[in-house]
Amino acid sequence: MNNALSCRSPLEWDVLLAYWLGELSPEDETHTEEHYLGCADCSRRLELLIALARGVRELIKINGVNMVITDHFARRLAARGLNVREYRIPVNGSVNCTVSANDDFVLGRLEAPLDQVQRLDMVYIDSDGRTEMRLEDIPFIPESGAVVFSTRIDALRALPACALRVRLLDVTGTGERTLGEYTFNHTPDPLQRSE
Amino acid sequence: MSKTATEHPPDDAALALRVARAAPGIDHDAESELCRRLAPRVRLYGLRHLRIEAAASDLMQQVMLMMIERLRAGALLNPDKLASFVFGICRIVVLDLRRGQTRRKRLLDTYGDALVPEALPVPNPDSDRLALCLERLPERARTVLLLTFYDEMTAGALAGELSLSEANVRVIRHRGLERLRKCVTGETNE
Repeated sequence: MNNALSCRSPLEWDVLLAYWLGELSPEDETHTEEHYLGCADCSRRLELLIALARGVRELIKINGVNMVITDHFARRLAARGLNVREYRIPVNGSVNCTVSANDDFVLGRLEAPLDQVQRLDMVYIDSDGRTEMRLEDIPFIPESGAVVFSTRIDALRALPACALRVRLLDVTGTGERTLGEYTFNHTPDPLQRSE
Repeated sequence: MSKTATEHPPDDAALALRVARAAPGIDHDAESELCRRLAPRVRLYGLRHLRIEAAASDLMQQVMLMMIERLRAGALLNPDKLASFVFGICRIVVLDLRRGQTRRKRLLDTYGDALVPEALPVPNPDSDRLALCLERLPERARTVLLLTFYDEMTAGALAGELSLSEANVRVIRHRGLERLRKCVTGETNE
């Protein structure tokens, strides 16, 4: 048994994550289990990894996270019985939107021609037209024709009535071009305001 | 006698040997220390295979009881193989837990819960810090890690969902996990 203060051949974080996800072969899984059952250091690493996973799940469950997601993920959220509010916006379009106390997730679906795009950036624009925040190289599926993203629900609930603008940019080695600009006309939930 | 710098706590194998040699008597200190060390590791095994905290605690409890019972009975021939010995018990108990609860009742009737550690402290990353660290990740890494942790998606499944190669997902996941872990634990200020 190896329970010294430092393990001589610690299990890599990738191996521990693969183990947690069930990606290892049966032989590698057995090796990993026999190792950490005999190793204080590696069992602590695995413990931290599991704690991270749990922490992320809790964060998403409580407030959501700002992230680009997939259609599949959006469908899985709804299939789990979560309240998912989704706003679809065509290219250069706008939508009136809000967030209610019952919402678990609020998604924006920005339609865009993504066929030839290699790198896609998403830019938040302030009321003066200046870049407020730029998300570089966001994940997207060209054939889906849209980018779906989730916004922290606590941040949305704290917003006053306002217009939020987002721009999608096709970035190439020689420059960038705007694929579309999208406006969310946000109004706080009247029920929430009266509470 | 005070401890000198060269004194080390006994390793797990030495504790197992003490438990075995004490039989038919009981070396309470060795048994307690062995359970204190091994119970958290067995709990991890339980979480991996059973996925539920309460079930992992049940597994931990039963494995500790069976381990001590077998050590007292002299079933561990080579103390250096204690990890394999515990691993074998873990496998049996997982099968048992999936089939029913018979062995647990017998063990608890025999030993009570004297050997079972109290609820273990579970590390919990600071949620504000974790949120901040997630925000700082590159977009692709954030999406990959969040889907990995929230939906427990394998690299293969994620590759299909994100239209990326599996190798690419593994690279993004590896880099993202490194950054997230170091940020949460304070190894870097990223």
